Amino acid sequence: MMQNTEGKKSESETYLRVEKLKTQFFTARGIVKALDEIDLTIRKGEIYGLVGESGCGKSVTAQSIMYLVPDPPGRIVSGKIYVGNVNILTGLEQLAKITVKSETNVKIKRNKRMIKRHNYLLSRIRGDRISMIFQEPTLALNPVIRVGDQIAENILLHLKVDMANAILRREMSTRKDYESFVQKALSIGDKDARNKAIREWCESYSISDAEELVRNIFLTYQDPETVVKSIEFIVNERKSGTNINRLSRAREYYLYQQRLFEATLNLMEAESGKNQDEIDRARTALNEIKKEGSSFLSFRIINKFIGKRIEAPLRDAAKRRVHELLNLVNIAEPERTALSYPHELSGGMQQRVMIAMALASNPQMLIADEPTTALDVTTQAQILDLIRNLNRQMGSSVLFITHDLAVIAQMCNRVGVMYAGNIVEEADVNTIFDNPKHPYTIGLLKALPRADRIAGKMVKLETVAGSVPNLITPPTGCRFHPRCKFKMDICEKKKPELDDLGDGHKVACWLYQEPGGSGK
Amino acid sequence: MATESNVGGSILKAQPVKHRPRVEDFKSTFKLFIKNRLAFVGFVIVLIYFTITILDYVYPSYLGVKDINTIASWVPQLSSGVPSGPTLSHGWWYIFGETLYFAPIFPVMLAALKTDITYSILIVLTGALIGIILGTMSGYFGKLYDEVLMRVTDIFFSVPTLVLAIAVTVVLGKSLQNVVIALIIIWWPIYARLTRGVSLSIKSNKFIEAATAAGSSGLRNVFVHILPNVLSVVFVQFSLDLGSIIQLFAALDFIGFNEGSPLLPELGNMLTWGTSYLVSGIWWPIVIPGIFLLIFTVAINLMGDGLRDVLDPKLRR
Amino acid sequence: MELRYFILRRLLLLIPTVLGLSIFMFILIEAVPKAILVTPYINPHSRIPYIIQEANALKILGFNYPPPIAYLFYLDRLLHGNLGLMSMPGYPNSVAAAIVDAFPNTIQLTIFASLLSIAIAIPLGTYIGARPNSIADQAGRVFSLTGYAIPAFWLALMLQIVFGKNILLGNPLGVLPFSGSFSASAIPNPTPSWFVNGITYPTHLVIFDALIHGDFPLFVDALKHIILPVLTLTYGILAGILRFMRAGMVDASNQEYVKTARSKGVPEKLVIKRHIRKNAMIPTITVMGLLVAGLLGGVVLVEYVFAYPGMGYLTTQGILSYQIWLVIGTTLIFGLILVLTNLIVDVVYALTDPRIRY
Ligand SMILES: Nc1ncnc2c1ncn2[C@@H]1O[C@H](COP(=O)(O)OP(=O)(O)OP(=O)(O)O)[C@@H](O)[C@H]1O
Ligand code: SF4
Ligand SMILES: [Mg+2]
Repeated sequence: MMQNTEGKKSESETYLRVEKLKTQFFTARGIVKALDEIDLTIRKGEIYGLVGESGCGKSVTAQSIMYLVPDPPGRIVSGKIYVGNVNILTGLEQLAKITVKSETNVKIKRNKRMIKRHNYLLSRIRGDRISMIFQEPTLALNPVIRVGDQIAENILLHLKVDMANAILRREMSTRKDYESFVQKALSIGDKDARNKAIREWCESYSISDAEELVRNIFLTYQDPETVVKSIEFIVNERKSGTNINRLSRAREYYLYQQRLFEATLNLMEAESGKNQDEIDRARTALNEIKKEGSSFLSFRIINKFIGKRIEAPLRDAAKRRVHELLNLVNIAEPERTALSYPHELSGGMQQRVMIAMALASNPQMLIADEPTTALDVTTQAQILDLIRNLNRQMGSSVLFITHDLAVIAQMCNRVGVMYAGNIVEEADVNTIFDNPKHPYTIGLLKALPRADRIAGKMVKLETVAGSVPNLITPPTGCRFHPRCKFKMDICEKKKPELDDLGDGHKVACWLYQEPGGSGK
Repeated sequence: MATESNVGGSILKAQPVKHRPRVEDFKSTFKLFIKNRLAFVGFVIVLIYFTITILDYVYPSYLGVKDINTIASWVPQLSSGVPSGPTLSHGWWYIFGETLYFAPIFPVMLAALKTDITYSILIVLTGALIGIILGTMSGYFGKLYDEVLMRVTDIFFSVPTLVLAIAVTVVLGKSLQNVVIALIIIWWPIYARLTRGVSLSIKSNKFIEAATAAGSSGLRNVFVHILPNVLSVVFVQFSLDLGSIIQLFAALDFIGFNEGSPLLPELGNMLTWGTSYLVSGIWWPIVIPGIFLLIFTVAINLMGDGLRDVLDPKLRR
Repeated sequence: MELRYFILRRLLLLIPTVLGLSIFMFILIEAVPKAILVTPYINPHSRIPYIIQEANALKILGFNYPPPIAYLFYLDRLLHGNLGLMSMPGYPNSVAAAIVDAFPNTIQLTIFASLLSIAIAIPLGTYIGARPNSIADQAGRVFSLTGYAIPAFWLALMLQIVFGKNILLGNPLGVLPFSGSFSASAIPNPTPSWFVNGITYPTHLVIFDALIHGDFPLFVDALKHIILPVLTLTYGILAGILRFMRAGMVDASNQEYVKTARSKGVPEKLVIKRHIRKNAMIPTITVMGLLVAGLLGGVVLVEYVFAYPGMGYLTTQGILSYQIWLVIGTTLIFGLILVLTNLIVDVVYALTDPRIRY
């Protein structure tokens, strides 16, 4: 009973759900079965660690979740990846027809139209809901674009509506505010005090022409009406005026784009469901929204030519946010750093910039693929601290990939252990270290020096005997069986499912489940 | 490499993959090369052209005349008039029509390959030899020599090749032999640069250091370690250059260095002959030899590209 | 501000190169028999005996001194803009004057061809490079390979045959003039003051001078004359840029930062435009110098075939009548153009690639 409610609760808190994900690489030497139908769930706000030997498919998992598997040669063959409530693999079968004639002879026929639509879907999910930090910051930053612009790009792609809202809201309140303020200012008798008040007011609304406003008010000192008019003029024309009108139009357009996206998504989901009624309904809905588009025609044309000017306030806001973000990742001089090129920064700084970039649009999910491997030890520790703190502050989930069990112990709430394209064990971090079940996990942990064991003299470290299998012809059944000390007959024949032993401790091993039955 | 923050991690760490060099043996290289169909087609065409050239030397009488070095052999009386177009009614030799003095284009063109291809190979080979020797020395003699070599080649590279070739030929005297000499003079710097780059990078390589430590002498290093590595790069450049040189040679002949040999079967010469009929709308004396030349240059470029892909994947374009 | 110093330093570095160039030219001059060198300095109709005239000329040219001193004489003359004398009917006596007349035409051809090829090759290369191994890519590959392999002078001849007016009977495409920079029939009657001896003023470029003086028919005529030469030149350089642009695109597409851009949700079009193309341009810019060198060679052949009165045509005329000073003079000027182009390429490169420290 108790377990049940808890299960439900965790279910509702899930942010990322990967189901039966199968990714393969179609190479000249054969098909690399890199991921063998893996299941993975990550809850809101947790740090989920993924460990495993080199080549076991950690990076492929991360890339698959972002749909970034290099194609060719790789493709996601089947599965579902829910990010929030959106399956980013919606309509996967329609993207490409894969005909496997033999291991080395595979025909892939891509459907350009579907791929285009899928790319559109991805561009709305990636960076917005889910971001990624790469292993080598030096390679992952574009060398010819200033880092500030690289971060701002992310903001401008995904936060336009929010920023436009904020700006418009502020401008509206400014308008209401200033009239009452002018009255108040004029009632102040003392010249200097009034001057100061006006200046403060102007600055609080970041009106750059503060000086000019003050002068205007002085000039028309005798005549309150003129004062009001002159400020009105400045506020309306010079600062906001036409720009604000355009911006509010732009906001409507962005909102329309959002609706269009949602409708497209609905259609894609319906199409993968094969229910003709639903498809028709979704298609009609999409067409309805598309019709709205015609009213934006003139705006789109204007936007094409003076888009930069319309978005100028957004760009300013984005710039401010870039500085905030750089501050957040502990970069000392945000203004200067924002203007530098990647090669002018140290590796640690670059990785901070990467993190700032990944966080720029407040994603709910962050994937970090060995984010510290390329850095020196001190910087490593700082970056790990940073990720942990940010996770606490922002409450976004993190998929943390590493080959370093010590880091896992420091960082993660839950851990998944991967072996040769499978997740073989999953549990919370204490359980994994204290009570490992899968023979592979046990082997890994034996190799880890522990305080209690190091207390002795020289400790001979054990490693897991044997080596990672070739994933073109992986072992049958349990892929670990050639290296397993506890191998049984069934292990070679049938693949063990990832089975819950209770308390969310899942293991895929025949030692813990009944062959034949479902094991439950 | 990754940091060694703890031992537990290290067993999971990536093992550096060792890449086998592509040029293990000639056979596998050739197999790879043949796989690229276009490159192979280019190779076959180049082979055909070379065969014709060799045939011109060893069995010139297949062209049906005694002396294949002048079109006067085909047309005993050099009469003027309008050459007739492509036709089969006068036999195979006339399939592409006639050119100056009613000489048949087809056999003259085959004879022309002797001049063009021989001279081109001669130019590139000599230029490459000089360049390789001077360039390799950079890896051996070091700083000062290297600096001087670089400055001298700089000057060569600061003038467009064709213009420089014209200037040098005019200075030497306007004849085809001097065109050859001029092209050699301006071609060696390319190879000197190329070889220098490779030899310097190899010199800084570990295995030369090791060889020196093992008591191998400097000059020996050059010949044992540097040269073989230089050669695969040079070979690619060589094949691509053959295409440029044959164009350049024909171009120089075309713009007026044929004074000493106006009747020599040579592709640039043939085009010169053709231009005199241009305004009367007689196109074949220009079009046909040009296509013949174009096929060769395209083929050699295809071959060179294929070779580069196989021998030097880093330079892949 | 740093850029200014970079350019200044590069300009200073130019001095040894240019000096080297002049030494090279002098060595070439030294290799010519003196009798040929002094020919244009001798007046056959003068009553002064040949021997004395020759001795005088040698003295003026500094050839009575040992070569290093004679070089200084040569350098001094160069610095005074004196490139030597020539004698060709219809041309001025001074090589420098002849070059001044012809120079603008050559520059015009090369600039038009460069601009046209850049305007075509960059978008086309971007398109093709973003779709490696597609049909468009294969076609582009054949197109650029042919451009590499095709001899410029033969292409020029082919264009004459196909598009030249009145060459092939009944050819609907044959509408363009193929010789010279304007038709004699298009010269306004009476000949205006800005048209002297077939040279127009002030720019020496018929197209622009006609425009300046409002002679529209002449402008159109001159424009028609430039089409075929420019097209010929364009093909060669276009092929080069296309090839490098494609390679740059493919190379940049495989970089990690492209993955980053995609992971940010940058739409595919913008990934190409913003993240890949700019990086792909960098290797393309570095080979621009080489391509321009090829272009300057090509311009000689093209001007020869189309009898377009530029420096290349001048040079080929000089070959025919053995004008050593002229040939060496144009060679030197071609060298200077190339050296300057390389300087510009370097500056553009430094501006494009922030990793270059100047
Ligand atoms: N582009 C590719 N082409 C072919 N096979 C690939 C490709 N990328 C990955 N693979 C295969 O997929 C498997 C998983 O690779 P992956 O990069 O995910 O390993 P990893 O767990 O991230 O290892 P590491 O710790 O070294 O990063 C490997 O067997 C590898 O050979
Ligand atoms: S399933 Fe069998 S082979 Fe696999 S880990 Fe368990 S015991 Fe070992
Ligand atoms: Mg990895």
